[in-house]
Amino acid sequence: MDIDAIYTQLTAIFHDVFDDESIVVTPELTADDVDEWDSLAHIRLVLAIEKKFGLKFSAAEVGRLKNVGEFVSLIQSKAK
Amino acid sequence: MTTQPQAQILALGELTEGLRAVVDFTISAQQMQQFAELSGDFNPLHTDAAFARSKGFEGAVVYGALMVAKVSQLIGMQLPGRNSVWASVALDFRKPLYVDQAAQAEGVVEEASDSTGMVVLKLTVRAAGKVLAKGRAEVIVGHA
Repeated sequence: MDIDAIYTQLTAIFHDVFDDESIVVTPELTADDVDEWDSLAHIRLVLAIEKKFGLKFSAAEVGRLKNVGEFVSLIQSKAK
Repeated sequence: MTTQPQAQILALGELTEGLRAVVDFTISAQQMQQFAELSGDFNPLHTDAAFARSKGFEGAVVYGALMVAKVSQLIGMQLPGRNSVWASVALDFRKPLYVDQAAQAEGVVEEASDSTGMVVLKLTVRAAGKVLAKGRAEVIVGHA
């Protein structure tokens, strides 16, 4: 899957989940950078990503992610 | 000591899309009075049948929060039951429920995510074959 397309879709998901159109989704982005990115928002984010991309992740896969870039890599590996 | 009803225990893996549970209920005048006192909402639409009829309803209208209370029973006792906690609930009230009218709250699993433990339920409250309220709930399922 094209990486730019993934970031475009992720940006829409972030804007929707956090109700904030100003969020710029970059590979380096982490929960520390977004005020409302708490544990519940994280769950909603993962759920929305699973739904949008038609993928299922395991708790271990999601638990070891350190930033958005790693999430994009996970999406790419699963979407193959 | 009274014996409390026991909550069902459903694990995340059992919560497959389409799994359904229902709670049949009827709200009595006594429960309406108890809720009025608990909430402090004595709006005559809920407490005075004659007033409610003067506003075009068939009788005293059951508090929407009492429908939510039955959704609480549905989630906490059946789907998913004991090891779950609400993250959100949204319910649109479309038609009134009346005191002593038989109704049913239904929950259907719409999504279940192994990675997050989140289960999304589609909610419907019906009476006399009509949909009174529709909505959804997000529920987080923990470990047994």
